[in-house]
Amino acid sequence: MSADPKKVMVIGGGIAGLTAAWELSKCGVAVDLVEKSDHLGGHAIQYCCKATEECRQCGACSVEKMLKNVVEAPNINVHCGVEVGRVARNGRFEVSLQTSGAAAPAASPGCQERYETDPLACAAARKFSKNNAALDCGGAAADLKVDAIVLASGFAPFDATRKGTYNYGKLPNVVTGLELERGVRANGRVLRPSDGKPPAKVAFIQCVGSRDERLGNLWCSHVCCPYALRVSELMKHHDPEVEITVFYMDIQNTGNNFPAFYEKCKQDLQFVRNIPVDVYPMEDDRLRMRYTTEADGSPVDAEFDMVVLSIGIMPGLDNQRMATLLDIGLDADGFFQSSDSFNRTVTNKNGVFLAGTVGGPKTIAASMAHAGQAAYEAMKYLGGAE
Amino acid sequence: MTDIKQKDMEEIAIATDVLVIGGGLAGVRTAAEIAGLGYKVVLAEKSAELGGAQPSPGPLFGLGADAQKTVADLVQVVSADTRVDVLTGTRVAAFAGVSGDFTVTLTSGAEVCQKKVGAVVVAAELTPSPLNAAYNLSLSERVVSQSQLDALLSDQAARTGLGGKVVAFLVGFGQEGNPLVMKRVMKSVAALTAIEDCTVYVYVNNIKVAADNLEKLYREGRDQGAIYFKLPEAPQVSPDGSAIVYRDLVVRQDVELNPDLIVVEEALVADAENGQLAELLRVDRDAWNFLQSDNVHRFPIQTNREGIFVVGASRAIQDLPAVWTDAENTALAVKGFLGDGIKRVPTGKAVVDSGKCTFCLTCYRCCPHGAIYWEAASNKAIISPVACQTCGICASECPMDAIQIGGFSDAEIRAEFLGSLAGSAPRIVAFCCQNSAFEAGQMAAQFKMALPAGLQMVKVPCAGKVDLDYILTALAEGADGVLVLTCHEGNCKSERGNTYASWRVEEAQRMLAEAGYEKDRLRFATLASNMGKEFSNLLLDMEARIKELGLSPMKN
Repeated sequence: MSADPKKVMVIGGGIAGLTAAWELSKCGVAVDLVEKSDHLGGHAIQYCCKATEECRQCGACSVEKMLKNVVEAPNINVHCGVEVGRVARNGRFEVSLQTSGAAAPAASPGCQERYETDPLACAAARKFSKNNAALDCGGAAADLKVDAIVLASGFAPFDATRKGTYNYGKLPNVVTGLELERGVRANGRVLRPSDGKPPAKVAFIQCVGSRDERLGNLWCSHVCCPYALRVSELMKHHDPEVEITVFYMDIQNTGNNFPAFYEKCKQDLQFVRNIPVDVYPMEDDRLRMRYTTEADGSPVDAEFDMVVLSIGIMPGLDNQRMATLLDIGLDADGFFQSSDSFNRTVTNKNGVFLAGTVGGPKTIAASMAHAGQAAYEAMKYLGGAE
Repeated sequence: MTDIKQKDMEEIAIATDVLVIGGGLAGVRTAAEIAGLGYKVVLAEKSAELGGAQPSPGPLFGLGADAQKTVADLVQVVSADTRVDVLTGTRVAAFAGVSGDFTVTLTSGAEVCQKKVGAVVVAAELTPSPLNAAYNLSLSERVVSQSQLDALLSDQAARTGLGGKVVAFLVGFGQEGNPLVMKRVMKSVAALTAIEDCTVYVYVNNIKVAADNLEKLYREGRDQGAIYFKLPEAPQVSPDGSAIVYRDLVVRQDVELNPDLIVVEEALVADAENGQLAELLRVDRDAWNFLQSDNVHRFPIQTNREGIFVVGASRAIQDLPAVWTDAENTALAVKGFLGDGIKRVPTGKAVVDSGKCTFCLTCYRCCPHGAIYWEAASNKAIISPVACQTCGICASECPMDAIQIGGFSDAEIRAEFLGSLAGSAPRIVAFCCQNSAFEAGQMAAQFKMALPAGLQMVKVPCAGKVDLDYILTALAEGADGVLVLTCHEGNCKSERGNTYASWRVEEAQRMLAEAGYEKDRLRFATLASNMGKEFSNLLLDMEARIKELGLSPMKN
């Protein structure tokens, strides 16, 4: 075994991929971690802490910690800026990595500016690694031989321009939930994009892209109610005067403590069970929406400083190509299909395992647990490598 | 890890048998995985048989006949596995020892036995609890609980008898609910709509669909003819269940329905014996009696004690795939913890000076990880290097200053902040928890965010290690301001380190005020590891306040 140690390729450097890599690494299994963008941490590294005085269990801080674990682990080789070009099975998996075109410049000068304007790239720019020389963000092609594959290529956030009547991308103060959180990471609080001032009146529209029959998206994304409610409570903590309205179909739970948390939310926020259809521009970059009340169906016009679209979790844009490469199936929604109704990490291909949102929407905590399970399955498959 | 000082390591032999408490689906599945890794397992189930007999788990998880067979097969496999010692009708009567070296006393009727185990897994089951009282209803022939409906549906004659009937569900008004509660309703709806001329109404508040495939199940039910009424408040139900009056939000008037059968929702609650088990095992509980604090550092399956793990319904209301996920994560963690039975740990993680120890047991009481025990012969506290997480809460609480933490001794920490007090003014000492605020500070520094010139960050293993003495010494020796920066409430890796820190800051502020100094020179704040910008904002704000106050009059 020492001559040719067992090796696992983890595809995707988001929270699921990082967790799978770290768990395998702790078991003494060498890992090649392949990430197509120029940074590790995926979407979740961009999320903000949503604690007020108390932690809300969003899990965003877990991502920082896992990122650090991975880049400091000597038996994890990180390849950023590359994607899987070819997979052949010849006993082991023979994999060719090709540049994805997303590689970061060799050096990352102006780190401060990048953080303010582009926190997305900050994970790569930080280069935690002190003793892991194998952190390659240069997008270099490579050939690997591995014994198992953990697919953790994640999800695509819903493209909000597909809901054209919200005027996302046209009106500066219509933002996505992801952008809202990135803003908090960079500024320490929510600011209105058009003038950089704290908004006084904010609307959240839930289920943007999720539970949408017309789009054919017949799934709940699990995470949007939790992030919308947690960020709303964070905004109320920063500024008790801010008025927040949540437009929703059905409020989904955050965790064990949801009943208590939801009671607080109901005191602090206005909930309207109605999803507005249009967002209209007003003076001073304000926004107007029309909705009907639940009590008597009467129409209401309301103005807001900022509208947040709670965009959902969609199948990865590259899923079809990856499914073909790995010869595994997609479900009717375009997420990867597990071959066991109880064990959602196994696929119809021996040695290929699913971790995280590749198999459907998940919270950070659920992605991490799923990735731990995938790592365990991969380790069992390798015969308990030491 | 280069910033941690290289220390000598010692090897400690630990027990490698594993106790699994609970022989329901989660327990059986976890036992099978752990045995598969080569460890011996003691599987203790309080009822007479394995597999989660009461209530039948099939309907609870919405399992079909195929799935139930898979589960039955698993029970057989475990029963036949010579590495698994199955003890039914067995309870935990007593529990002692520390991680890697637990002694458990099990009773079965009059029989008592003791086992040495290195790790423990708790695999409790959920208990369904009907919420008819929330609707002012009594259970009757016309008003049944979800479990009673499940029983009806599994009986062919009773099922046929529902033909031509009108069935109404009440869900989401007696409780906020969750996807598993909703899945039970939707599975029943699917079964009922398949019966000839059976009409189904569902009165519901928030439809909980945040689980795999639930949205589709919901839509399928509607496509098959079930009618869902989403209402902000529960409909009016006559006491005998013969009439339901609700506000129809489309036609905007009150409508009366006369159902043949009303199905009231059930809450799924933690096992009533969890509290007793928590006391025995000394593991923390959340507000809902689950055996895990609501703390991201514990997710998915860790507890406050090393080597004690929780799966499935021991920690949350979870569907079967999630229970399987927990079981496998637990097997992975058990392997990581027990290994080959030899733990390599740094020497001197936490050392008790037995000359100073007066056996007051303050440390035993405040240790959040159950890592401290004592030997009857010597009457001195002993800290298990296997169980200890080096948070240092005990060291700071010890009235005799008898405990030192490796790498974070009083001398080392004092040297770190005393050495900095000659720097540029205003001199600000920030004691930073290494898990949160220190990381945030590193992030702020790396991104070249603005920070006070006179800032000295002092890394501590947990804010619970910040002695009152450090705070007062820093102020007396020249700091113009001191901050104690810790994790948010509920996010402390040692559960209560941040609470101890906040008490000490309050105490120090009181002392400052009494001595006639400004208490604003001392501040307590919470930060997460990813709050670089907030760290910068907070420190700049502190610096501005200190500039208003002027340099400290306290020095000498």
